Amino acid sequence: MKDPTSHESYPDPHHDTYSNTVFGFWVYLLTDFMLFGALFATYAVLKNNTFGGPPAKDLFHLPFVFIETLILLLCSFFSGLGGASAHRKKKNRTIILFGLTFLAGVVFMVMEFHDFNRLIDSGNSWQRSGFLSAYFTLVGTHSLHVILGLLWIIVILLPVFWSGLTPVNIKRLSCLRIFWQFLNVVWVFIFSIVYLMGVN
Amino acid sequence: MFGRLTLQAFKHDLIEYLAGISMIVAAVIIISLIMYHRRWKWLWKEWLTSLDHKKIGTMYVILSVIMLFKGLIDALMMRAQQALAVGDSMGYLTASHFQQIFTAHGVTMIFFVAMGLIFGLINLVLPLQIGARDVAFPFLNSLSFWLFAAGGMLILVSLVIGVFAGTGWSSYPPLAGLKYNPGVGVDYWLWSVQISGVGSLLSGINFLVTILKMRCPGMTLMKMPVFVWAVLVTMILVIFAFPVLTADVAMLTTDRLLDTRLFTSEFGGNPMMYINLFWAWGHPEVYILVLPAFGIYSEVVPVFSQKRLFGYATMVWALIAITFLSFIVWLHHFFTMGAGPNVNAFFGIMTMIIAVPTGVKVFNWLFTMFRGRVIFETPMLWFLAFIATFTIGGMTGVLMSIPGIDFQVHNSLFLIAHFHSTIIGGVVFGFFAGYYYWFPKFTGFKLNERLGRYAFWCWFIGFLFAFLPLYFLGLMGATRRLNHISVPEWHPPLILAGIGAFLIACGVVFQCLQLFLSIKERKENREPTGDPWNGRTLEWSTTSPPPFYNFAVIPEVHERDAFWAMKQSKAPKQKPHYEKFHMPKNSGLGVYIGALSFILAFGAIWYMYWLAIASALGIIACIIIRLYEKHTDYYVSVEEIEKIEGMKQKA
Amino acid sequence: MLDPYHDWNISYKPVFLAFIFALILTIAAYFIVVEHIFTSLSNIYIILGLGVVSALIQLIFFLHLGIEPKPRWNLMIFLFMVLVVFVVIGGSLWIMSNLDYNLMLNMEK
Repeated sequence: MKDPTSHESYPDPHHDTYSNTVFGFWVYLLTDFMLFGALFATYAVLKNNTFGGPPAKDLFHLPFVFIETLILLLCSFFSGLGGASAHRKKKNRTIILFGLTFLAGVVFMVMEFHDFNRLIDSGNSWQRSGFLSAYFTLVGTHSLHVILGLLWIIVILLPVFWSGLTPVNIKRLSCLRIFWQFLNVVWVFIFSIVYLMGVN
Repeated sequence: MFGRLTLQAFKHDLIEYLAGISMIVAAVIIISLIMYHRRWKWLWKEWLTSLDHKKIGTMYVILSVIMLFKGLIDALMMRAQQALAVGDSMGYLTASHFQQIFTAHGVTMIFFVAMGLIFGLINLVLPLQIGARDVAFPFLNSLSFWLFAAGGMLILVSLVIGVFAGTGWSSYPPLAGLKYNPGVGVDYWLWSVQISGVGSLLSGINFLVTILKMRCPGMTLMKMPVFVWAVLVTMILVIFAFPVLTADVAMLTTDRLLDTRLFTSEFGGNPMMYINLFWAWGHPEVYILVLPAFGIYSEVVPVFSQKRLFGYATMVWALIAITFLSFIVWLHHFFTMGAGPNVNAFFGIMTMIIAVPTGVKVFNWLFTMFRGRVIFETPMLWFLAFIATFTIGGMTGVLMSIPGIDFQVHNSLFLIAHFHSTIIGGVVFGFFAGYYYWFPKFTGFKLNERLGRYAFWCWFIGFLFAFLPLYFLGLMGATRRLNHISVPEWHPPLILAGIGAFLIACGVVFQCLQLFLSIKERKENREPTGDPWNGRTLEWSTTSPPPFYNFAVIPEVHERDAFWAMKQSKAPKQKPHYEKFHMPKNSGLGVYIGALSFILAFGAIWYMYWLAIASALGIIACIIIRLYEKHTDYYVSVEEIEKIEGMKQKA
Repeated sequence: MLDPYHDWNISYKPVFLAFIFALILTIAAYFIVVEHIFTSLSNIYIILGLGVVSALIQLIFFLHLGIEPKPRWNLMIFLFMVLVVFVVIGGSLWIMSNLDYNLMLNMEK
């Protein structure tokens, strides 16, 4: 079925790749969900394999993680506003909002590193047990995605700053926005299943 | 600076030296030929950097055929070893070399031959069948190919520098873990599988979006050719199965590189989780291989029976049913590894059920032939061989889906015979049928029919000799992957199997001869109409070969078998109205990212971390360069279209 | 508000709404666990429930799942993905716990 929007473009009627690219990116995110699914499955299987080490309850600092969660939610929020602003062709607003996303993301990563370091320094690195390996793999993969998302913001905001909100830039900002919101959905499950249920 | 790479890595036994040297000599010959004819620039501009799906598809097929030679030689060596190493003789291969051979054989054939041939054929045919000018993401298409090539290169390089894994193609921990296999072999396996896996995943996204979004006007889902349906469901399998493999292989990689304890036998790891996830990918993978082949048969059988495909709707529903079911059978690959009767029974029953839609398809093809006017040219012969071979494979599969029986034959030669019957009978024969069928479309001339028949009979008879004895051997208790045979009764069937392998090799020789001869005689075999078989689908409406943009005017279709309908229609041909359109420009970045991926892997394997990190940064830089590239495509002008179409009219 | 040419969603309202709701749900889940309001067992269901609702809100209002124009490929493929994730995770858990029981793999943990 021909996409009803694909015959038109903004502004070049012969060059609309918006719907294809955004849809393709969505499909890629679904594969990323699957990847996290496999990592979640591994975590679920290994979560009790502490090999004599302390249980999750003693290792996780929930208030700290709670703040992290709120900050990541801000990333989702700012990037959502940023994406909408881009479609409204508000260049400065878009740059500011994605800039705020970047800042929130950096704060999240700094907190995450701090938390990882705390665990590693206390002798609870991934080398200690299957449980910790699974934890670091799952949460670490999420962090890796966040770092790539931060890099992506920089890479994309520069052309926006120089050339404005061209169709290509709007298309890519949409993908970026979807990416950050996806990361937050994954984090909801990490927060719920790993941290809340771990401490429960 | 060189990590753990020392001169020791270049030391091998005699046979490995011969293999490595012959490979290098072949490469040198090819490079010298290119230099002699001064075709580097042409090669780079016309082929390596091309984003044309037809060129990319052709490169996939060529590289897969090269990997097929390697895989076949591995097979011949194994057959020779098992035919010779009986009783007191230990054969001619060391145990560790034999282990590498059976591992490399599996990895090569599954990842780099079957996947490559199928994805290559999809690349060639899919856009033409849906009336599109290219796939949705041409650059990603090129990137996928070069990642595939990088993965293949890693296996070839492992022959010369270092060793390959000796763990079997599925590489189970704890054997594949750091403690029991600290060397480079398993790392080569990990990186070649991972990199080519990323390529496959990107192709999955690409083809899925292409089919859903780029069909020509009027082509609703139920008007698509069945081959396109097969590709659609296959890509759904790809996008949901490959991430599981990516995660699984990545976790084994962290186990080996970062000392995680995910799949270790100590510290609370669970090696069975690797096996579980591996097959959660592995079962969909075999359907990823075979469903496009089913699609090919659905194209070939109607054309060579001169009759419409029987039961289009049930064919589509069968594909969808198989897709859904293939996600819930994976435990049957490890019935014997400790699950209880409930779990085994569930997965056993699901496995049996999946045979039903497959059977529906087989019957539909046969009903298509019934009362048709069947033309027994080579593509049809391959289909008939498929029926015989795949049926045996399928039935033995259903046999093994019963856990009690599987406990007797798991990992025996019965299993080996089963999956070779289904993969060779289904996938390889399917590719050959497609190869003969579509060859004239992409080259403009037909393949020599006589040599095709010789090749066919060698392959088919060879297959029967090579694998039917293995069923009996399996039932007699012969295990897989044996480098020495201690039971004298097994020797005669193994010799028969060796003869069969040799016959298959003769078949391949005939296919090579056929290709050379057909190219030599191409002027006599020229096929000027674009429609040598009286085809039914849109690709036959273009010239042979099609222009680089496929269609000057995107066709509009109204029913299934769109081209057939166009041929029957009495409407007068109108002068087409041309408009300019965009086509993608070439890009070398796919090649560079592929090359950097290879270097990244090589660095990681040999613990040259500076190299790995530098390559990773290079890949990111290439991606950024691509993102910042302003002019990635160009307009094809109306004048140029008229010129090319004009030449077509004259021809 | 949808852009007239493309049905692109350019409205700020759903973004604000989703943010507020997700915030509330997150805070609720956190305090329910930390303040031990319910039993440990019911907590599991509550946490999961709140998490799923939060994820759904974000999927629908941030990511526009299900409110795009037809054909709804995004939604269809997403639903199939959810199914496969359930099968893979659920199946893996079933299989692995079965193996655990039969093979006594929990001896050394």
